[in-house]
Amino acid sequence: MEQSRLRLAISLLRQLLKFHPKPFLIAVAGASVYAVCTVASSFGLGYVVDHVIIPRYQLNLIDRHTFLIASIIVVGIGLLRAVGVVIRRSYAGISHWSTSESLSTQLIRHVMSQPSRWHQRHMTGDLVARIGVDSDTAASVLGPLPFSTSVVLLVGLTSIWLVVIDVPLGLLAVTVIPLLFGLNLGYQRRIDRHFDSAQKALGDLSEAVHESFDGVMVVKAFGAEDREHVRLATISSKLKDARIRAVNARAIFEALVDGTPSLVNVSLIAYGAVRVRSGSLTIGELSSFIYLFTLLVFPLRIIGYLLSEIPHSSSGFKRVREILDEPLEPQPTVNLLPVGSKSAVEVRSASFSYADDSEPIFTDVTFTIPVGSIVAVVGETGSGKSTLLKMIAGLINARTGSVHVTEGGSALVFQEPFLFSGSLQFNLTLGKSLPITDIARALWASVSEEFVSELDNGIDTIVGERGISLSGGQRQRIALARAIASGRQTLLLDDTTSALDPTTESIVIDRLASQSETTTTIIVASRPTTIKIADYVLFIHSGVVHDLSTHDELMLTSTPYKNLMMSFEIDRKAS
Amino acid sequence: MSMDTDQRFPSARIIGRGVTVAPALKSGIGLTFLLALFGTGARLVIPILIQQSIDHGLQPGRVDVSYIIRLCGVGSVCVVLSSFCLREATKRLGTRAEHGLFSLRSQLFDHIHRLSLEEHNNEKRGALVSRVTSDIETLTQFFSWGGLGLLLDGSQMFAVAAVMLAYDWRLALVAFVTSAPLIFVLRYVQSRLVSAHNLSRERNADFLGTVSELMAGAETLRAYGAEQTMIDTVALSMRNRRKSNVRAGVIGAFLFPSGEVFAVFTVMAVVGTGLLIGPAGGLTSGALVGFVFLTYRFLEPIAEFTEIIDQVQSAVAGLRRVLGVLDTPIGPPQSEHPRPLPQGKLSVDIQEVSFAYGARLGEDDDDTPVLHDISLHIAAGQHVALVGPSGSGKTTIARLIARLTDPTIGRVQIGGITLTDVSNDELRRRLIVVPQEPFLFANTIAYNLAFAEPHATPQDMNAAFDELGLSDWLESLPNGLDTHVGQRGSSLSAGERQLVALVRASMVKPDVLVLDEATSSVDSLTEVRISRALERLALGRTTISIAHRLSTASRADRVVMLENGRIVEDGSHGVLLGARGKYAALYEAWLNSTSGSTNA
Repeated sequence: MEQSRLRLAISLLRQLLKFHPKPFLIAVAGASVYAVCTVASSFGLGYVVDHVIIPRYQLNLIDRHTFLIASIIVVGIGLLRAVGVVIRRSYAGISHWSTSESLSTQLIRHVMSQPSRWHQRHMTGDLVARIGVDSDTAASVLGPLPFSTSVVLLVGLTSIWLVVIDVPLGLLAVTVIPLLFGLNLGYQRRIDRHFDSAQKALGDLSEAVHESFDGVMVVKAFGAEDREHVRLATISSKLKDARIRAVNARAIFEALVDGTPSLVNVSLIAYGAVRVRSGSLTIGELSSFIYLFTLLVFPLRIIGYLLSEIPHSSSGFKRVREILDEPLEPQPTVNLLPVGSKSAVEVRSASFSYADDSEPIFTDVTFTIPVGSIVAVVGETGSGKSTLLKMIAGLINARTGSVHVTEGGSALVFQEPFLFSGSLQFNLTLGKSLPITDIARALWASVSEEFVSELDNGIDTIVGERGISLSGGQRQRIALARAIASGRQTLLLDDTTSALDPTTESIVIDRLASQSETTTTIIVASRPTTIKIADYVLFIHSGVVHDLSTHDELMLTSTPYKNLMMSFEIDRKAS
Repeated sequence: MSMDTDQRFPSARIIGRGVTVAPALKSGIGLTFLLALFGTGARLVIPILIQQSIDHGLQPGRVDVSYIIRLCGVGSVCVVLSSFCLREATKRLGTRAEHGLFSLRSQLFDHIHRLSLEEHNNEKRGALVSRVTSDIETLTQFFSWGGLGLLLDGSQMFAVAAVMLAYDWRLALVAFVTSAPLIFVLRYVQSRLVSAHNLSRERNADFLGTVSELMAGAETLRAYGAEQTMIDTVALSMRNRRKSNVRAGVIGAFLFPSGEVFAVFTVMAVVGTGLLIGPAGGLTSGALVGFVFLTYRFLEPIAEFTEIIDQVQSAVAGLRRVLGVLDTPIGPPQSEHPRPLPQGKLSVDIQEVSFAYGARLGEDDDDTPVLHDISLHIAAGQHVALVGPSGSGKTTIARLIARLTDPTIGRVQIGGITLTDVSNDELRRRLIVVPQEPFLFANTIAYNLAFAEPHATPQDMNAAFDELGLSDWLESLPNGLDTHVGQRGSSLSAGERQLVALVRASMVKPDVLVLDEATSSVDSLTEVRISRALERLALGRTTISIAHRLSTASRADRVVMLENGRIVEDGSHGVLLGARGKYAALYEAWLNSTSGSTNA
């Protein structure tokens, strides 16, 4: 088990260090300076005791010259040690943050190269966590790691030095190393369990809290405040209990890790006295020995904390790798119609499914949409209207058959379109420089110009996260304006006008029809007024996409179509 | 830049308020500190032993081993005792902190549930959740690391200073004076460190914000071939994040060894003074060597202190936000002397009510009145439909009747009792609101029904489905009442969620029903089910529907039309149509928009 942990650590480091090895090596060098100076400082202390203090008190000698030398040694070593610390910490930080940045960059590049259907399979929040948080967690081991290397160096040097000063006393002193190491391992193993259960309790709590606040309306409506309080407090007390168990384990550990080296130290003094009596050791050497021992203890106490960083980082790194290791999926291919073609979209005996291995939603779909027409896609909820639009947009590829679209591309606008938190201007252009007339035309056609001009800063208004400062209908119209401004030849509107009132909706559609002879508009519609304006209807019924037809024809020839239209009117009948 | 001085006083006040709200945080802190003081004793045993040994047992050429061994025996006992104290101190601090934080969390749950609905909009919800989770977590982090460090390191400095003074006040004075400038260095660098940490937190939030935009908007960006602009923005925010974090790290790196640097100067000053005093001044070599050890011990905690500064800041900031929520006044307050509602059907009266959002909080924006001097009497058992364009005040009236908010002026009565005099418990048993988009808990249908009526049996639930004519739908579900509805009910369609919400409302058997009709489109079969269930639910109950479909209005006993917060028409559907007024016009427009197909 320990061995696999070690192997894990080594492979993690090898992969992390290849990004920015230099700052890490500088940090390790700084840490080494620190370790060497720490050992040397005990030598300095021994010198002070033997050559300055003892002569003064036991022989009554004062030698300014020796005091000066002693001061230079002690202060010089102290400063050098501090320099080592500054270098180590500064460069460890650089190493951590540069690596984290490189991991995030790699992730972003990879994720942005994946096609749309890959994005649909992944939750936005999860991707953000992997790019923004896990990459940081993965690299965070690089922060304390140089210190760990200095601990190893320090422990090695100190053990040798202690044994060099006095062999039997040195051997007694180094027993503390396995003792503290064992304590740390035992504690880590116990505390991991408590931390895990606390972490799980915390996860449960935030989930429950989230849901309970989300449903606050229901809680209030049923006067369930007290019941919810009890439910959440029960979950919260599990967290408290797990944390208290961890605290108890930790309290014992702290006490042991504080007391054990002190006890060893006491025995060192006792045995040291024996060694001084036998003449093997001077008082100064014993003092320096004890001082060095106390210096050794601190890093040994926190080595466990450093080791515990490794599994933490490696689980972050694993989540990063999971995304990077997913092979890049091919972008959907687009078949273009010849220039000058009279049709905007041609679908020839095509079949579609959501995933490669799932049942096809449509089979043998064939239709042709003429350039410049307005087509309403009509069908029951869940009949596959959105899927049809996505396949025309080229987001989904046909499994068999083919989809051909006109050159000039298409723009798909969703029912709940995404707006960026920047200005309206940015949302319309997405960073491209467009002529002001194009933007004005797009705002007019989407019936946005009025509300935009009423905003305090007009087109420079910041819309807030996801366009929060705009109403649903305004967001839909801005997204529509964006599609128009992009100059795409085919507009695919997936219920994009659902939040508009019927009057505004029909103005939008009229203007769309009038603004360009060559722009084709395909719109998912459920309002009869909208369907009426369209030139053609593409009717979907029980998995079959019927060829283009007009509303009037369908009313005469198709019973299911007639029934669907009736259901739009069911309210009217009921009155 | 002067954050440190500016925030000192408020920080102290915040901590003061924190312990008042959760007294467990400070209960018995005196004893904890005393235990910690004894607990750090183990760290003092060694310097004292060194001094005693050198002075009394380790004379050159004459070593008294048995004396030193006896001394070490006493030392060992002290170490064991102080370790025990350390354990107790750590345990007490941690346990009490957890109890205190538990109580803070509980107060937050309770308070947040009772906040008015304005405080619960979508923008603020995430913030409320993080008050209970991540902000309290910063406090947990603080108590288990920084707080413990402060306690132990503080007691160590305190104990060492006391022992130093007891040994030799002259040397102690020299040590204190030499290390005193460290305080100024620390204060100077600390303020920079705090603002550097604040900056990196901000930059980190910026970075996460841009990444989440990039991910959420990925499809949109790709659709317009505009990925690169956004990727560049993310790269910039990422670079800024790295720079600010590295900067904070470098400042911290200079601060960290400052205690050690001062220690070497102080040690040499102490040794120099010791040489001057000499044996004639009453000093021994053992005391001087021991003192050198004590000096190192005295300044040892500084390094850890510099690490704790940031944690203290985060903890205070977290506590400040938590207290901010607890300070937000709760929604409609509980009535102090509730009066019981009469039995049987209840009438509803709105008397000269005006309402403005935010008016009570004294905010100057957004306080244009939503309702102007409305009066409305709804007889017991009547079904009233509220109609009108969006923003006309329909939803506000429904909220006032359900006492989800109180009127700014005027009063609302049900059964002749003013709502502010009705106990919340009774009101929620007699009046039920079904919101536009009903919320279902991620659990079974049975759980969601039991939420309304905790003592309901499965038979009761089946009966409720039967009563609303929905047994066939329930039977069509794979696991009946035990069907899991998914997060927010996402395994069901919007219409099916409505169905469950209606059955849930019926479980309570309320006397007054407030229905906010859904606008989302629903397939025709479910539509029929909803209409039927609504009709049966409203039967014999005082019902107020906010009608978006005018077919609902046409079925009501009475239609009340609102415009700009005023009642403009009031009467039965037929009468209003005959009057050829605003309602008739609205109805006409609605008929046209839903009937385009047959006119074509």
